[in-house]
Amino acid sequence: MNYDLLRITAGVIATIGLYSVLWKENKFYRFFEHVFLGLAAGWTMVALWTETLKANWWDKMVGTPAETGSVATNGMYAYALLIPFGLMGYFVFSKKHNWISRIPIGIILGLWSGQQVQVWWNTYGPQIDATLKPILPTTWDSLIVPSTNGLTPEQLSQVQSQIYFSQAVNNFLFTITVVSVLSYFLFSFEVKNKAVKGINTMGRYLLMIGFGAIFGSTVMMRFTLLIDRMHFIWIEWLRDGVFPFISGR
Amino acid sequence: MKGNLGEKLQSLPKPILYLILILATSIPLFFPTEVPNEPVESTKDFYATLMALPEGSKVLLMSDWTGSTRGESKGAFRSIFKILIRRKAKVAIYSAADPQAPRVAQDAINELNMERKRKNLPTFDRWNDWVNIGYFPNAEAAINGIANDLKGAFGGRKDFPPNSPPRDVFQSPVLQGVTKVEDFPLMLVITASKTSNFAVERVSGRTPLAFAVTGVMVPETQVFYQSKQIVGYCGGLKGVYDLEQLMESGVNFPDKATGKIKSDKLGTIEGFPDPDNKGQGTRYYPTLHYALALMIIMIILGNVGMFLAKRGDKS
Repeated sequence: MNYDLLRITAGVIATIGLYSVLWKENKFYRFFEHVFLGLAAGWTMVALWTETLKANWWDKMVGTPAETGSVATNGMYAYALLIPFGLMGYFVFSKKHNWISRIPIGIILGLWSGQQVQVWWNTYGPQIDATLKPILPTTWDSLIVPSTNGLTPEQLSQVQSQIYFSQAVNNFLFTITVVSVLSYFLFSFEVKNKAVKGINTMGRYLLMIGFGAIFGSTVMMRFTLLIDRMHFIWIEWLRDGVFPFISGR
Repeated sequence: MKGNLGEKLQSLPKPILYLILILATSIPLFFPTEVPNEPVESTKDFYATLMALPEGSKVLLMSDWTGSTRGESKGAFRSIFKILIRRKAKVAIYSAADPQAPRVAQDAINELNMERKRKNLPTFDRWNDWVNIGYFPNAEAAINGIANDLKGAFGGRKDFPPNSPPRDVFQSPVLQGVTKVEDFPLMLVITASKTSNFAVERVSGRTPLAFAVTGVMVPETQVFYQSKQIVGYCGGLKGVYDLEQLMESGVNFPDKATGKIKSDKLGTIEGFPDPDNKGQGTRYYPTLHYALALMIIMIILGNVGMFLAKRGDKS
């Protein structure tokens, strides 16, 4: 019995079942949709216990016996206090006592909010720093960055320390883009100045170009996923699985 | 289908369009071709970072992809592991986006090992070369724990030594001597979700970060790369194709004048020519071009149809 081929065949049938919705809504599609959801839910429930609750909570609460290479650990029954605390969250379903659920949620939100200052700075600090780019060239020896073929490390560092005209133009475009896009988000007051309005409109168009690029990469990704499914069906299953099986290779 | 040509062009039956798309994404798979390509700077930096790892380095890898993004992420995962195995790196893998992710990563490594066995190459062994630390729900809290208290976050997690019951992951050669996130000279994130953002928020500045992301995530990841919050990234199928070509040709290798892939910024980085370098990226990238060409043709046809229909209405 070729179990690998059986496994792949099941995958192919499920793939065709899920794609059959492209033709129209049908029972074949519904069946595989439910199989997929059921499997995912079952897997998640098992993983929640084996990968999380057991290691992070149960074993620490009841302790672990000595095993090869590890010593026994004592249980810390204070971990049991987490049970009522966790259960308090379920009072969200009670109209009368739902205030109880706000206690654990409030603590989690408080912890999360307290960390956000550091998180914000870690995320955006370096980005703000990287936005401040020089827009004036520091050398006119060459309009574009010269080739660094065969340069000594000192010469290379000399080239890299300069801002060439082409780099200055790039940086200028970058700065204009940042300023115009930011000006588009000036919602707090009415913009009457024509120049600011112009920059504002330019920001809108630049945003659209950005969204277009994002959409383009999204389309490419979706196509790649389809190509992978086609490869799975035609190459992995049919060419490398079914044909060799039939021909007895 | 009634109406003039313009209306007909705008209302092609969807099943026919899907059939054409299936043909466009299937037939080229049987006729492998090579697309001319220049790897982007971000992937060159990604490759340079991996190749600069000293032999035996310990790498923390957040593997957050599953079957749903296999088309992109598996190619990246396999290429990365081929390089890590070459660098004799020791890899600690954990997942935080999907409970299925640890198993998917494990299967992908097993597949690589089976291929290596067939070629009589040493395998990349669980426990000694890599450990599967498992799944952590709530990616943000997990990475916060890893950044601030690695011992506490991974404490109690077990993995399987060869022919032995599961043992604490910190006893494995991979995590021996590791007490904090800074002990890893590199943290890799292979993801199809926002977990890469959490890594930037919590770990950037503490240990170098490098990402392999799906195509849809490229624009947001480029921001992190430009501001040097990450050292490099491999984005989408193009990134996988780049990585496979970099493995084959290196950068400025054997020297800048004759090297196939050049870089002014990077020095000489060796490649390791091997037919096996050509994987998912090389197989799918040409086909992607047929699919994109089809989409462009359909957009043009739709617009021509709209133009003709409007002209018909006026007349």
